[in-house]
Amino acid sequence: MCCVFESFRRKTLPLAIWPPEQAQLTLYDCRDIPTEPAFAVRVERSLRPALGPRAEELVHLAFLSGSGEKELLLLRFLHTAFARGTAAAWDYAHPDTAPVLALERAVTEEAHLLMGFVRFQVHEGMLGAVIRPKHYALPLLRPHFCGRYPDSDFLIADLTHRVALLYRGGRAEYVEIEEGFRLPPPDAEEAEYQALWQQFYKTIGIRERYNPTVRRTHCPKRYWACMTELMDER
Amino acid sequence: MELLQKLTILSDSAKYDVACTSSGIDRAGRRGSMGSCSAPGICHSFASDGRCISLLKVLLTNVCVYDCSYCINRRSNDLPRAAFAPRELADLTLQFYRRNYIEGLFISSAVLQSPDYTMERMIETLRILREEYRFRGYIHAKTIPGADPGLVQKLGYLADRLSVNIELPSERSLNLLAPDKHRQAILRPMGQIAAAGAQSRQELQTYRAAPAFAPAGQSTQMIVGATPESDRQILRLTEGLYKKYSLKRVFYSAYIPVVEDTRLPALDTKPPLLREHRLYQADWLLRYYHFSAAEILTEEEPNFNPYLDPKCNWAIQHYGMFPVDVNTAPLELLLRVPGIGPRSAKRILIARRQAALDLEGLKRIGVVLKRAQYFLCCKGYGGSRQPRRETVVRALLDPMAFNAGCEQLSLFSAPQVQMLADTGLPPQIAGRMVQEEVVTRFAQKM
Repeated sequence: MCCVFESFRRKTLPLAIWPPEQAQLTLYDCRDIPTEPAFAVRVERSLRPALGPRAEELVHLAFLSGSGEKELLLLRFLHTAFARGTAAAWDYAHPDTAPVLALERAVTEEAHLLMGFVRFQVHEGMLGAVIRPKHYALPLLRPHFCGRYPDSDFLIADLTHRVALLYRGGRAEYVEIEEGFRLPPPDAEEAEYQALWQQFYKTIGIRERYNPTVRRTHCPKRYWACMTELMDER
Repeated sequence: MELLQKLTILSDSAKYDVACTSSGIDRAGRRGSMGSCSAPGICHSFASDGRCISLLKVLLTNVCVYDCSYCINRRSNDLPRAAFAPRELADLTLQFYRRNYIEGLFISSAVLQSPDYTMERMIETLRILREEYRFRGYIHAKTIPGADPGLVQKLGYLADRLSVNIELPSERSLNLLAPDKHRQAILRPMGQIAAAGAQSRQELQTYRAAPAFAPAGQSTQMIVGATPESDRQILRLTEGLYKKYSLKRVFYSAYIPVVEDTRLPALDTKPPLLREHRLYQADWLLRYYHFSAAEILTEEEPNFNPYLDPKCNWAIQHYGMFPVDVNTAPLELLLRVPGIGPRSAKRILIARRQAALDLEGLKRIGVVLKRAQYFLCCKGYGGSRQPRRETVVRALLDPMAFNAGCEQLSLFSAPQVQMLADTGLPPQIAGRMVQEEVVTRFAQKM
């Protein structure tokens, strides 16, 4: 958000935006943009009144993307949008709007897939799951799983972004997790249900219709490592 | 018997049931209970055959008093048999559900003792889930043909979706292959469910807490390729079912020979997957593209074109109606353009209010210009000027039918390609040969 502020103040568009942890050496002219909460809040608060609720949602969702280009694409969109007002978010064919819509779609589609692909293990009454998504999907999974299991404590660990969603005693929070985080090994009962599920999975496929291509299209291999029934098939 | 063994037997017997959708109802979670539903449905996994796994799909039992010749569970088939106790199945469902393996339960059953007895056991399973375990996830239940209407009613108040399988596309086939089932015994509960559902929706409008009867509607399925009906007959039947019984979905299942029987295709017959695929495409045209069955298949051409999807086939036959101007055309007309689907059509409607659309913009919206360019015009593009007909046909052909990109013979390739490949020709070459012939033939017909 501070980059947005800076860019508007200078009336220039940068070639690239790097988050602090990915700073690179380059021959081009670089500028450090320190985080200034006051500037960020000013930009954030202006989104809805100036651009409308749809644009606000679009910016928020697209920002969860794991794409390295998202900062720049968002900045370009915001430049167009602040010039044009609420119409910008609806101009699906505009060269600055379409890429941001694509970012948003990638994020929501992955979140939708994960609502199905997350696999919990039960440990002493608590549910635990591990995911490795491309995008930061936890904020979208939060209302879904908190609503689905309102009375069980659970944890969903996002190893890509090293954040976990922890739901305990009816309250949800995000906690940082360390590298190499792992769930404890399954106990006897948990192992039995995993075996039952794997057996069901094997049985339900019809041999005469074997179709690995379609399976990979709907369920890309990058999810398989975290899915009980598919981790052995990789 | 061990649970693992039971689950294997009873899911193996259920796997030929097609429907595994969890769509049609939104239901938020609630404290003191477990589960929720989401209207678009959620797929939890994909089986080795590429089909979605959303529900725990099992039979309550595969012990059957009937002897339907197309069915793997028929009485005279030598098969390991098993049965779940209602509580056992309810427990298993809940354990799978909390691990997020499934979206809910798809319960179906062979006929144990009598239709009524079987239904009572199914109802007991659902009662335990809903009332004792406060389960708010998805339940799809299949009613047993010939069961008492009172039991169907009870089942409907516990399940989200009900289905009655129509099994075969015509009464003649049904009499021939399933002598114990009668068409009336299938259609009567279907009518009952449609009426009860409509009444329940009306009650819900006046009184929010009224009990909901199968709120996600009903569906059915039929086997394709076991009997001689034409595609047109099947599609007209489908359209009738959607209109008369307001079904949510009709599913088709390519017949896979499971038994040796003189009345059925031989055991080495391959499942007609391409035909099934075309039926689904046509089904989508009925539900999302404002097509009618009579437009898709005619008396002169009662079967699907294996080389073109039904929409492209229609477009080629009505080539004179195009190009469509994307900046002014209504939704129904946009949906007729090959390369524009319901999603991009809706985006076009929104985007063109902001600015007139050109080719670049259409591409950004997600229109497949490879096909669409011959059928539309827009800002700065007056339509493709007299393209060679061969070029248009080539752009529309369904690559899947010609074994494109597969070195091995795909199950989806057209019968002609399969025949050529069976003579020893490499499948890819067979595909290319058939394709060249088809391009010339169709271009002449245009």
